[in-house]
Amino acid sequence: MGADALLLARIQFALTAGTHFMFVALTLGLATLVALMQTRATVSGSAVHARMVRFWGQLYVINYAVGIVTGLVMEFQFGLNWAGMSRMTGGVFGVPLAMETIVAFFVESTFLGLWIFGWDRLNRWLHLGLIWVVTLTAYLSAYFILVANGWLQRPVGFEMVDGAARLTDAAALLTNPTAVLAFFHVLFGGFLTAGFFMAGVSGYHLLRRTAEVEFFRRSMRVGLLTVVLSVMPVVIFGGVQFAYVQPTKLGGESAAAEVARFTARFGPDEYMAPGLAGAGEALMMTMWSLMMLVAAVALVKLPFGGWLVRGRVFHVLMIVSVPLPYVAMVSGWVFREVGRQPWVVYGLLKTRDALSDVGSGTVVASFAAFTVLFGVLFVVNAWLLVRFARRGPEGAGLGASPPAEQAPVLSGTL
Amino acid sequence: MESVAVVLLAVFSAGYLVLAGADIGVGMLLPWLGRDQRERRLVIASFAPFFLGNEVWLVASAGLVAGAFPGLEHLLLEELYPLVVVLLIGWVVRDMGLWLRGRVDAVAWRGLCDAAIAAGSWALALAWGSVLGSVVFGGGLNAGSVLGLPLAAVFAWHGAGFARWRLPVELAARAGRVPARYGVSGAVLAVLPVAAGLRLPWSEVVTVGGGLAVTAVTTVAVLPFLLGSQALVWWTFRGRVDSPSYL
Repeated sequence: MGADALLLARIQFALTAGTHFMFVALTLGLATLVALMQTRATVSGSAVHARMVRFWGQLYVINYAVGIVTGLVMEFQFGLNWAGMSRMTGGVFGVPLAMETIVAFFVESTFLGLWIFGWDRLNRWLHLGLIWVVTLTAYLSAYFILVANGWLQRPVGFEMVDGAARLTDAAALLTNPTAVLAFFHVLFGGFLTAGFFMAGVSGYHLLRRTAEVEFFRRSMRVGLLTVVLSVMPVVIFGGVQFAYVQPTKLGGESAAAEVARFTARFGPDEYMAPGLAGAGEALMMTMWSLMMLVAAVALVKLPFGGWLVRGRVFHVLMIVSVPLPYVAMVSGWVFREVGRQPWVVYGLLKTRDALSDVGSGTVVASFAAFTVLFGVLFVVNAWLLVRFARRGPEGAGLGASPPAEQAPVLSGTL
Repeated sequence: MESVAVVLLAVFSAGYLVLAGADIGVGMLLPWLGRDQRERRLVIASFAPFFLGNEVWLVASAGLVAGAFPGLEHLLLEELYPLVVVLLIGWVVRDMGLWLRGRVDAVAWRGLCDAAIAAGSWALALAWGSVLGSVVFGGGLNAGSVLGLPLAAVFAWHGAGFARWRLPVELAARAGRVPARYGVSGAVLAVLPVAAGLRLPWSEVVTVGGGLAVTAVTTVAVLPFLLGSQALVWWTFRGRVDSPSYL
């Protein structure tokens, strides 16, 4: 396997994981907001909230579809392209992956199917319970994935026997600070993504003066509130992680000592993190500063409901702010993952040694196929999200007919 | 603990082939079971509420392999690389056809999605036949990779058996032209992974250390809840479909 195959396999993983991560970020936040809105709709029986659940739920489901298929491919890509990793560290790294699929994803996906297709068919309290299970298992899923990722950043709770890692301390693995802190960082990042998304879509409709003023005034409020509540926790949970960041990622005196230690043990190599990692960090912080400014504007607007409907500049600001959390999420991820290079498991296994032993022709063919496929997927789903977002509440396909004023009407058609 | 994990993997992989095998089979037969787009939407509705809950059995099987038998990833994925790539692409194409079909109201769009569902289902079934054949014949790409291809017919047969009791009576009659029984084809599909599993060197691929126990014990502990959630889906959508679904 040459350097080309290594590069292609890395880019393929980055494209899969990067696409997955962008859609997952919105999923995590939007599931929460939909669950909260459905709770309000179920308890109060109000029609506007039931319509909000249907509209935002529709966007959530469109978004979820890409998250799920990219996630499926990613799970198999470990074994396809990075067999060296399962050979040496599979005994530890595989455990959180197993937990994620069996404890979290299995339930999440089964109940999501029931939520989508059981609309107007199930008891409304049961239907509400389903979206909460879906939301909580989505959190659990994110947690286990970050346990796996956190272990790559900072391997703990294992011993090496005959060149293979064995799990010796499951508690250390599950409470690894690089996993737990990253989980909360990503979770609040997801809230931020969904908050900006909701505020941006609402801003579009309020700017266009569509008929749904009340609907989007309430949605704007939910979105802004989410932004204001998440913008500080996300930076706090990001900041405290610096205590555990690898020395080679940050530079300085301890980095030189670490490089000397690695060189003595593994031979000379480029042990300092590539420059791209630092660029990712800078871009992430810039995005956060911009989001902080928008959040300050939101804080001024929030106490006065009528203000949310007015102000064309404000509406345009919210529309153009939708990409900010996405750029922050992806560049933060670049900082974290590229910054770990040349290691796949820090201080244990180098990325190039983890590559599968398959012909480069095969890697090139699969790279081309998946890149085209995911490119089409990304474009089609982004287009659908925009299309359904612009159409407004009347265009939502989830559920049957618009709900009646009082009790929801049971209708067989979906 | 190793045998517990092997039994769990047999349960999850058989669960996948029996449950998802039916919706893959119906997808393969889509052009024949539904003559126009309205009929095809009903055919899709027959398995729509189940397909999400069906494919999780495969995801969980892959999770079990990662947690308990990391050595298998080399035998099943790395050595069968081209087959797995076809399998994954078929899976993604099919699922996107399903997810996207109902989202745009245009004849050409629905036609494209129907084609994606049928072609993806065929690719999946053929890839599974080939993967199972390769493993039964000793692993790696071998004669079994080709000899296993006809196993795809079992998926179509199973799909016909499923369509017989899920589709509206007049459409079900089309599926009934082949002598198909869900129970019989399901039993065949359940035996396939067990037969393939007898060929695998379990003690060589099992994980060492605490990972095995953590994975096996957790899985056993949550299994009743997983089965309960699946039972709730099947109970909710029992009986024949009479109207289109969200897809």
